[in-house]
Amino acid sequence: MWEVILWFLYFIINMALIASNLYQIVCLTDLESDHMNPYESSSSINAVVIPEMVLHVLCSVFLLVTGYWFMFLLTLPIAVYNLMLYTNRKHLIDVTEIFRYVNAEKKYRFIKLLVYSFLFILIVIRSLVAGKFTNVLEPFHPANEDLNILSHVLEF
Amino acid sequence: MGPEYPNRANTYQGPGSTPFAPPRNNMPISSNSVVGSDASSFRPTSVPGPVIGTGAPGFRPMQPGRPAPAYGPPTSGPIQRFATPQFPAASQVPPPQAANIGQPIVPPSMRPPPPSQGPPMSTSVNRQPQIPSVPIGSPPQSMYSASRPNMYQAAPFTGPPFPGGFQAQQSSPVSPPPPPPPQVPYQGGYVPPQPTTSTPFSSHQGAYGRAPPAASSSGMYVGSSAPPTGGMSDLVEDFSSLSLGSAPGSFDPGLDTKVLPRPLDGDVEPSLFAGMYPMNCDSRYLRLTTSAIPNSQSLVSRWQLPLGAVVCPLAETPDGEEVPIVNFATTGIVRCRRCRTYVNPYVTFTDGGRKWRCNICALLNDVQNDYFASLDATGRRVDLDQHPELTKGSVEFVAPAEYMVRPPMPPLYFFLIDVSISAVKSGMLEVMAETIKSCLDRLPGSPRTQIGFITFDSTIHFYNMKSSLTQPQMMVVSDLDDIFVPLPDDLLVNLSESRAVVEAFLDSLPSMFQDNVNVESAFGPALKAAFMVMSQLGGKLLIFQSTLPSLGVGRLRLRGDDLRVYGTDKEHALRIPEDPFYKQMAADFTKYQVAVNIYAFSDKYTDIASLGTLAKYTGGQVYYYPSFHSVIHKYKLRHELARDLTRETAWEAVMRIRCGKGVRFTSYHGNFMLRSTDLLALPAVDCDKAYAMQFALEETLLTTQIVYFQVALLYTASCGERRIRVHTAAASVVPDLGEMYRQADTGAIVSLLARLAIEKSLSYKLEETRSAIQLRIVKALKEYRKLYAVQHRVGSRMIYPESLKYLALYGLSLSKSTALRGGYADAQLDERCAAGFTMMALPVKKMLKLLYPSLLRVDEYLIKTPNVDDEFSKVCTRLPLVADSLDSRGIYIFDDGFRFVVWFGRMISPDLARNLVEEDSSTEFSRNKVCLTERDNEISRKLMGILRKLREGDASYYQLCHLVRQGEQPREGFFLLLNLVEDQVGGMNGYADWLLQIHRQVQQ
Repeated sequence: MWEVILWFLYFIINMALIASNLYQIVCLTDLESDHMNPYESSSSINAVVIPEMVLHVLCSVFLLVTGYWFMFLLTLPIAVYNLMLYTNRKHLIDVTEIFRYVNAEKKYRFIKLLVYSFLFILIVIRSLVAGKFTNVLEPFHPANEDLNILSHVLEF
Repeated sequence: MGPEYPNRANTYQGPGSTPFAPPRNNMPISSNSVVGSDASSFRPTSVPGPVIGTGAPGFRPMQPGRPAPAYGPPTSGPIQRFATPQFPAASQVPPPQAANIGQPIVPPSMRPPPPSQGPPMSTSVNRQPQIPSVPIGSPPQSMYSASRPNMYQAAPFTGPPFPGGFQAQQSSPVSPPPPPPPQVPYQGGYVPPQPTTSTPFSSHQGAYGRAPPAASSSGMYVGSSAPPTGGMSDLVEDFSSLSLGSAPGSFDPGLDTKVLPRPLDGDVEPSLFAGMYPMNCDSRYLRLTTSAIPNSQSLVSRWQLPLGAVVCPLAETPDGEEVPIVNFATTGIVRCRRCRTYVNPYVTFTDGGRKWRCNICALLNDVQNDYFASLDATGRRVDLDQHPELTKGSVEFVAPAEYMVRPPMPPLYFFLIDVSISAVKSGMLEVMAETIKSCLDRLPGSPRTQIGFITFDSTIHFYNMKSSLTQPQMMVVSDLDDIFVPLPDDLLVNLSESRAVVEAFLDSLPSMFQDNVNVESAFGPALKAAFMVMSQLGGKLLIFQSTLPSLGVGRLRLRGDDLRVYGTDKEHALRIPEDPFYKQMAADFTKYQVAVNIYAFSDKYTDIASLGTLAKYTGGQVYYYPSFHSVIHKYKLRHELARDLTRETAWEAVMRIRCGKGVRFTSYHGNFMLRSTDLLALPAVDCDKAYAMQFALEETLLTTQIVYFQVALLYTASCGERRIRVHTAAASVVPDLGEMYRQADTGAIVSLLARLAIEKSLSYKLEETRSAIQLRIVKALKEYRKLYAVQHRVGSRMIYPESLKYLALYGLSLSKSTALRGGYADAQLDERCAAGFTMMALPVKKMLKLLYPSLLRVDEYLIKTPNVDDEFSKVCTRLPLVADSLDSRGIYIFDDGFRFVVWFGRMISPDLARNLVEEDSSTEFSRNKVCLTERDNEISRKLMGILRKLREGDASYYQLCHLVRQGEQPREGFFLLLNLVEDQVGGMNGYADWLLQIHRQVQQ
């Protein structure tokens, strides 16, 4: 049963990440089309950057700990890139130069959105499967379930 | 909000509905027609992007989450003072414009200037008939394909053979028979010039004597006195060429470098541009990198140079050419309904004068009743001569109330002054106080001008200057973590009311801190305090800084003395602000209409890279006086501060440049902050600031024949009137690369290249920046070579467009400029950054002067000519910047627009030297001990006269005079030799080597 809860947790985290990215993309598009000024746009984006990064790292770590290798690897590049941005202090949008980088920033967020969407599909499938498995297989293999990493890898 | 923006709906259009509003995507024309849709696509909830048109621009009236006191109802005292109507009917409608060259008003089907006045035609026609008596010498044969020998006969030849061959200004050269553009769409006068004459095909023979290995004809180039001249009516190209040795060092030492092209006449504006469209604004306001706009993407990609414009909206005008002011008091400003273009000389009136067609988006607008005038037989408005906006490329409209979101602000000057020990010791404080005091009468905008002061060391001192006081009251705040402003209402006072208090303050300021021994600087907190005081109104903040910020927020550390960083990937970090605090402050300042000017004085490292950021994003300027000492730098500071305070300034401005369909501005370069994709926020603008921008084609193929550009600057004049300055220019679209090169403008290109290079140096190594400049030049010349090499068998000679003959040289001097030269040891980090900030704002002419300074020889003039005023122009023959120009028996003046270096040769006559400087000739000029002062003899007076005249010619900076004696190292090297850009200095190529290097890369 705990697995279902775990999947649900992943689902929530993933939704939050997607939402945050969508929000940022909307802000950037609004900025480009002149519906928002750079001050607003950058402050509203910058407000969610750090939470998003933290959430992403949490998600990655959870995936690692619970042994979902494939999905962990999927999130790893973004985590590393985020870390790089953070150490170079480039993670926040610079209000003074925002227009110069708006396209690059948008592209980065689109890529993230793509990855998260993919992750989302995986999570949905896995949670369905997991739900089924726990329900169906529980009576038969109560003990076999524990951390069979190989099976996870093979499943994808 | 609503009532204030009657036409907002038109302005904040959604992307879909306005293909012509600058930043939008391409949209099919068909969607343009419905104007009503504009309104619906406007999102009412969002903050309006300020558009010059609506008048809102400067101020964002509703900014959720930011209460923005500045925009609220005026609560403080000062504001009420000017809340009263500020519209003196100062509509000095200028005298009727008499002769309108190229009347814009033509019958409906016509485009602007009537056929009769087609300017391009007329320029070329008169040269047409000169049938060539071409000296068909042997040289041409090596150049032109033998298969077309008959062409020579047909060649119109322009005048006698030109030995030198620089005839660019007067000839509109020939293109290889470009398919004659269809005449129908051009409609009359606007045929882009079909060049009919050719610039003589000139070659600099014998420059580098090695014969071009190209052909058997090689011998004839060397030293041949009659260069191949002559043109072919159809085929001849107007490139210039240069015979270069094909290998380094291979050129004959006997042949000198004199024939290399040098901009010794200074900046030459492309006359073609002005000639073609006489109603364009003057080139001092707007210069395009090429006035032939490419018609396709592929052409753009082949034009390897930047495609853009340099705009100096408030450039100083000579007397008699002031921009006319137009007041549409009753009608409201006439603008296109859709694209918000201002009415300009290129709009056409149709339907008996009842409608006008916008030249940028082609929409047919109704003419308001008050603006109606009937058309005469030729389709011109009958009252044309009363409307400067229909005849002049530059006009100024008086903006009505819908262009304001708050009452126009008064001119406001706020001073943030460092009073730590180094500021006092250097004498800066005294000079500054004295200068400000002397300028009080001349501050613009009296009697509304506001003024205020804060001083700081390790604490922050506020001054209450209430008019009822007799002495200013000083309040000290020492809590740097939690800044508060005591008596916020009395820190900023009206100058005319508190004049006595302000003067008393300035008188006592130097003595007040005379014995200050504080070495700390709480710059960041003081900056925040200034922000709090100023955010109500905006204005200009002048910061006098002589100690590295060391306390509180925004403190900086010493960096840049680490030699090892240079050449690594971290090198560029030295040139960008260390602390994000400065960028954030700059953004906030701009938001509240505060422009920051930095005056930095320290003899030690002050991190100009960080401080300058404040100026960069607020439309300000950086003045840097390394090792300021009042004895030496007094006049420089006095002049520059006085100019900063008294020059005409445009307050709370925004600028936008619109352009025709299919073209879009993509990037902007200069000191400003972008407020939306195409709106430049400029809290203060003046005549010394220029902005560069690049554009791109939106469509793969342009269908129009002419592209129009319109720069609009909405600002508050010092008198309290809101105005819009509009500059309009047209440029023709061409289908061929040769034409683009022909109409290229070196000044604008170099200006843009320099800004791009400086921006690049903020994220890359200097080395890479310099090679990027070189690569760009190489690519451009390579492309040009491809265009002609095959056709004309140029062999191994270097060819370049006549219009870009100085490009290589300017590229070289750009690589050697203070901002980009060498590495760690070649320029102090602070000087480098300061030069970078300065160059980002320089207008074209000053930029070129800085890159290729003038070197004048004056000793003969001093001794012989009787009177200063006589033959002054004779002195002004500029010499090439090579060490060989310096004769040890002469006295030379080196002038780069920022300083003079007076160079004394080793062998000048002793009494000449004695007449000029006090010490006898053996004295060293080191440590700036010797100043050039006017002495009581004719020669000295004459020299000072020359310097004065040179200074008058260029008043935006004060050229401090440095004396240098020949052979006096390292002083001579630092001041002069390093700046002789054509010489090989500090590991950088000399001019000849540079050309060779470029040439070799071009040929690869």
